[in-house]
Amino acid sequence: MPAEPLPADHVTVPADPGPFGFVPSRTALLLIDMQRDFVEPGGFGESLGNDVSLLAAVIPPLRKVLAATRAAGMTVLHTREGHRGDLSDCPPAKLNRGTPTMRIGDLGPKGRILIRGEYGHDIVDALAPLPGEVVIDKPGKGAFYATDLQELLEIVGITSLIVTGVTTEVCVHTTVREANDRGYECLVLADCVGSYFPEFQQAGLAMIAAQGGIFGWVTPSAAYLDALSAVSPAAVGATTGPERS
Amino acid sequence: MDDLSEYGMTRTVNRLDPLRHPRLGPVAADPYPWPYDGTVAADHAALMCIDWQVDFCGPGGYVERMGYDIGLTRAGLPATARMLAHARAIGMPVIHTREGHCADLSDLPANKRWRSAQIGAEIGGPGPQGRILVRGEPGWEIVPEVAPQPGEVLIDKPGKGAFYATQLDLVLRTKGITHLVLTGITTDVCVHTTMREANDRGYECLVLSDCTGATELGNHVAALRMVTMQGGVFGCVATSDAVLAATTTGDHHAG
Repeated sequence: MPAEPLPADHVTVPADPGPFGFVPSRTALLLIDMQRDFVEPGGFGESLGNDVSLLAAVIPPLRKVLAATRAAGMTVLHTREGHRGDLSDCPPAKLNRGTPTMRIGDLGPKGRILIRGEYGHDIVDALAPLPGEVVIDKPGKGAFYATDLQELLEIVGITSLIVTGVTTEVCVHTTVREANDRGYECLVLADCVGSYFPEFQQAGLAMIAAQGGIFGWVTPSAAYLDALSAVSPAAVGATTGPERS
Repeated sequence: MDDLSEYGMTRTVNRLDPLRHPRLGPVAADPYPWPYDGTVAADHAALMCIDWQVDFCGPGGYVERMGYDIGLTRAGLPATARMLAHARAIGMPVIHTREGHCADLSDLPANKRWRSAQIGAEIGGPGPQGRILVRGEPGWEIVPEVAPQPGEVLIDKPGKGAFYATQLDLVLRTKGITHLVLTGITTDVCVHTTMREANDRGYECLVLSDCTGATELGNHVAALRMVTMQGGVFGCVATSDAVLAATTTGDHHAG
């Protein structure tokens, strides 16, 4: 059993490889890289030859999860992958690798590819952050490297993450691996993470729950929503950490 | 040329001797000839030997206790031993990592301990190879086939990734290492996590398909394929033969 048993106000979600328990006031919803460049037609992802409809499919269930999580008064965090306009934070190995049709920083249909402040770099309208929700800008695949995510989680007292976003085997997996090594408990919502490649969607989810949940837990969003429907926002607010604005 | 005669030595050392300055690349790799910048001096690339520990590929260790076939995690040992000998011969730095925890388990996250107990092999608990995944125990040692030699860097890590809560990044930057060739176990867990961390930090990575292995063959194959997508999202995949063939010593190809 965990060193500290879960308090009475915890919520339990059926999941693979076993039930996932969390305390709403200590749990954040993480939306990873739901950016126009990855998800919408005409963006960077599509320019690489990917079928972006596979990623767009996560938006409807993720909208429901986002609305319910906000209604429960829980913390919501968004991430965006991108670089400074002068590319000073883009490693040469990332910039110059291979022979893509477009490189990071090139002008694409939605502005400069993966550059902060450009239209394509921002989050899709359907999942736009509300004022007060933290947006983490990250230069890599993982949301912990070269960002203040860990400090933010510690300040607010977050110990568990509900993980959603794209793509399953790249940024979602890298972030879950980083979070797991740091001792955070991660529940990945299977229909709220997406990949350009169906085989990696399946393999990526299986790897998380393998070996007794070596990186965390996996469940469909319906199971999370069911568990959340019993949560009273007042109870969450009463035990939330410092106010954020 | 350094004339050492004033020190009573007759031998001279040619610091520009090409035989003493081998290079790697371009290696026939998927999805592009590795590295992205053409070639790399062998002393600016490190051979990473990740978690070749008894607990992961030896009899009575953690992985066997969880019920997996260690034949799968041992499969990459012969090719890794050959790659290790090659790296030592050409002056390529070798870095070994070991996953493990302090004896008092003060660096063991509660959920990691709980999950290992659920699967019947609790970290810190007794096993045929000593306390499971505890530093200094027989199960935590690196297997003899790829044992470290004096002078090679050992990184002890509490997690799956070799960068988190370790000095690996500092060691690599101090040595001027910019490129990594990865071997080890398991492909989908510690090798992949380390490769992802390295990639985000700007290191140019190559993982060797015949020098890795997983507890499930499907996870090994999927993990390698993930690396190659989107123009090499985390780097490249190659065989150890391809690295040997792409090692040049001066004007001559060693392979």
